[in-house]
Amino acid sequence: MSGGRGRRRGLVTDACLLLGVCLVLAGCAGVRQRHGGGQGRPVDGGSASFALPPATAPNWLLPISLPGFTAGFNSGLRNQLFVPLYLYNNSSGALALDVAGSAADPPVYAPDGRSVTITLKHLTWSTGTPLTSRDVELWVNLVRANKDRWSRYSSGLIPDNIAAFRPVDDHTFTLELDRAYNPDWFTANQLARIVPMPQRSWDRTGPDAPVGDADRTDDGAKQVFDYLVEQAKDLGSYSTNPLWQVVDGPFTLRSFDPSGRVVLARNPRYTGPDPAHLDTVTFLPFTSGTAEYNVLLAGGVDYGYLPAANLGQRDKLRGRGYRIEPWQGWAITYLPYNFGNPALGAVFRQLSVRQAIQHTVDQRAIADVIWRGTAAPGYGPVPQIDDDRYLSPLQRANPYPFDLAAAAALLDGHGWRPGADGIRACAAPGTGPADCGEGVAAGTRLAITVLAESGSDETDATMAELKSELSKAGIELTIDSQPLNTVLANSSGCTRRGPSAGPAAGPDCGWQLSYFGTQGSWYFDANPSGEDLFASGASANFGGYSSAQVDALITASTTSRSADAMRDYSTLLTEQLPVIWLPNPPYQVSAIDSALRGVVQDPLGDPQPQRWYWTR
Amino acid sequence: MTRYIARRVLLAAVVVLLVTVVTFVLLHLLPGGPARGALGVKATTEQIAAFNAAQGLDRPLPVQYWRYLSRLLTGDLGRSYTLNSPVSTLLAERLPRTLLLTAGSTLLAVLVALPLGVWQAVHRGSALDHLATACAFLLYATPVFFLSLILIIVFAQALPVFPAQAAQGDSLGELLAQPGSLVLPLLAGGAATLAAFSRYMRAATLDNLTEDYVRTARARGTREREILWRHVWPNSLTSVVAMLGYYVPVIFGGALVVESMFNYPGIGLLFWSSARNADFPVLLGVVLVIGVATVAGALLADLAQLAIDPRVRVPARQARAGATA
Repeated sequence: MSGGRGRRRGLVTDACLLLGVCLVLAGCAGVRQRHGGGQGRPVDGGSASFALPPATAPNWLLPISLPGFTAGFNSGLRNQLFVPLYLYNNSSGALALDVAGSAADPPVYAPDGRSVTITLKHLTWSTGTPLTSRDVELWVNLVRANKDRWSRYSSGLIPDNIAAFRPVDDHTFTLELDRAYNPDWFTANQLARIVPMPQRSWDRTGPDAPVGDADRTDDGAKQVFDYLVEQAKDLGSYSTNPLWQVVDGPFTLRSFDPSGRVVLARNPRYTGPDPAHLDTVTFLPFTSGTAEYNVLLAGGVDYGYLPAANLGQRDKLRGRGYRIEPWQGWAITYLPYNFGNPALGAVFRQLSVRQAIQHTVDQRAIADVIWRGTAAPGYGPVPQIDDDRYLSPLQRANPYPFDLAAAAALLDGHGWRPGADGIRACAAPGTGPADCGEGVAAGTRLAITVLAESGSDETDATMAELKSELSKAGIELTIDSQPLNTVLANSSGCTRRGPSAGPAAGPDCGWQLSYFGTQGSWYFDANPSGEDLFASGASANFGGYSSAQVDALITASTTSRSADAMRDYSTLLTEQLPVIWLPNPPYQVSAIDSALRGVVQDPLGDPQPQRWYWTR
Repeated sequence: MTRYIARRVLLAAVVVLLVTVVTFVLLHLLPGGPARGALGVKATTEQIAAFNAAQGLDRPLPVQYWRYLSRLLTGDLGRSYTLNSPVSTLLAERLPRTLLLTAGSTLLAVLVALPLGVWQAVHRGSALDHLATACAFLLYATPVFFLSLILIIVFAQALPVFPAQAAQGDSLGELLAQPGSLVLPLLAGGAATLAAFSRYMRAATLDNLTEDYVRTARARGTREREILWRHVWPNSLTSVVAMLGYYVPVIFGGALVVESMFNYPGIGLLFWSSARNADFPVLLGVVLVIGVATVAGALLADLAQLAIDPRVRVPARQARAGATA
């Protein structure tokens, strides 16, 4: 009896001990943060935390990126430290030049368009020295001497198109160009890549070398670049390396953990028109979307996001003091056709087939049901968010709405007859108006395989929806899901170019359709021109689409002053369907503390934390 | 004994080498190669060619492997394609975190599981034994991600007692300074191990309780407690110790899920993300670490068994004697 009582007492003691340990540990763990409110007056100071995308971490601070280090969060972070020559965002309500966030006043182009004169603002580096034309020249010299190592380099574009850099005075310089360019395009897509760098601190060939003008010779510029790249590769030293402390932006780098946690602190020496309101901003890395969402629900993030799988939980987060806002990217989403595919390239070259396929895409269903209303339908080569500058009326109107009867009629009218299994095959080979078209052999079946990226429920559902609707029109779609890397690696390399050229051979031409757009297929610079995407032979023209008319419009959009070229380009590619247009998923669906204001969700991906402030 | 250990170490080295060969070949057989994944959709053809040349990916596979092995022998594991860090730095950052998680959760699990298994064996058939068995099956059958989610929902969101994420920081000191943040990850990581080892221990104890030596001890009047802890416990422990050594890959596998759920960037997650990005140097580095850990675990288990179980030593001695005769 007494033994039993003793055991019970022991159990009670153990339980109390365990409870005590738990309470101590819980005490160490802290309490949930408060969110919500936001009706108060703006408050200067305070801190905010921002959740980085899953499994990503900033890993490059140097304003000239090597290939592979171009992720948006790198430039978003860097823009806070080193003010870009020209910054574009939608802080004015539409995607446009943000004068306050730029290091220079708007550029002045010569009447002949062959030169541009730029005047810098009176910004100051944290060492106390002013921002000068020489800081821009350093960037130009380094990029010119090391262009093959720069991630953004494309032959013929910046720096090739800058014939000469002519300083006018400490704050003004002129760039002489190799030809006349469209000022809108040149500023948005070329000048916006320039980031002045602190020449009087960085222009050295090694840690112990004196600061000088080494960048003014090719060899010297290569050595300076090597030195800076070497420093940029040492992530562990970012917090302590004096190089990264010389900034002219609204924030300075307080700490940088290689695992991704970065703390920015307000730059007390910032002299520009766009100072930070908050004292500190912390960028938080997350191992997965689920981990971020759990922390968000527990109140551990001020500005986070909902993983696509949790979009149904929006009300729950609103109840916890967050406002939910989809962050639309300046992007388009599509499935490229492989015009060089030996089996189906000739079929894809027939506009009637492409039109029929586009008619089977139920964009509303994909955007509203699969993406729960957060994706934006897209009918052409220009991003379709609230900005009509580049968008043609035809693209906005959608010339190929979801219409299975129209799809069937197009195929019927061009010699495609359903077989016993319901899959259509070419029954009328030839080039006549009612025939299948040039190069299509009799009996060729409309059986297509799509190489689609795996790992996303939304992508799986989109592919399943396409398969279902295509089958109703007599087209068979086989879905081959592969990791994104495999899809990307296998979606290029086809050597045959253009709908009018002959069929290609080679192991790289095996893919037929490919999809890598779970987070948008292509993010543009501020001007959504198509020189990298749909120009003949362009690096990202994976399917080998080629059209002289499109090439001419692309050239016009980059060189002529007329705004019509971009809209004509939008019209033509909306009609011509070089790819299957799909709804564009959001960059992310953000959950923002309702008391955190000044947040503009920039389609170019820059969070602009210098403008955030608390109202609580 | 020394020759036995030397032979086992040599065998372990061969196994690790084979693991690197197989992994290297399989990775390089992946269609497409890593360039596009590392450089992104906007990379130009020239940039992809430059990347392949810089990484030696344009050379024959045996040459690439020989280059990798030569560098490995000098301690150079290469540089990540995407993380802007040497692989050795990444491993040095992440491995202590994973070791803290795996060692902590395994230790916690074993400390509870072993006495629990013995207790269950002694009280076999009792209501509490059935309850513990049911709980063990439930824990064993519950996927780690689901258990993690339940723990987070209950203890971090409904009752905000513990944080929803694991301790954050780059050094062990920083991690250990946030003990409350380690509670949920350790529980999630240790649950399945606890369930499995309590079952092993229960079964091993039950087996030993029916052995002749126990009956003899009882006949000699030895007290039950002494029989249990002096005779049955060490004999039961031998099979569990062996099990523990071979459990290393399972523990690392579980760590991947726990790291992902609790925002704890360790080696499991590094492996997962580098697999997604086709980051070959990191993949090879992690495989090497896990391979070494697995082989070392097995080796240590064998040695521990050799040390604590005289029955294992006898056949070895007999074999040696036979060879001399």
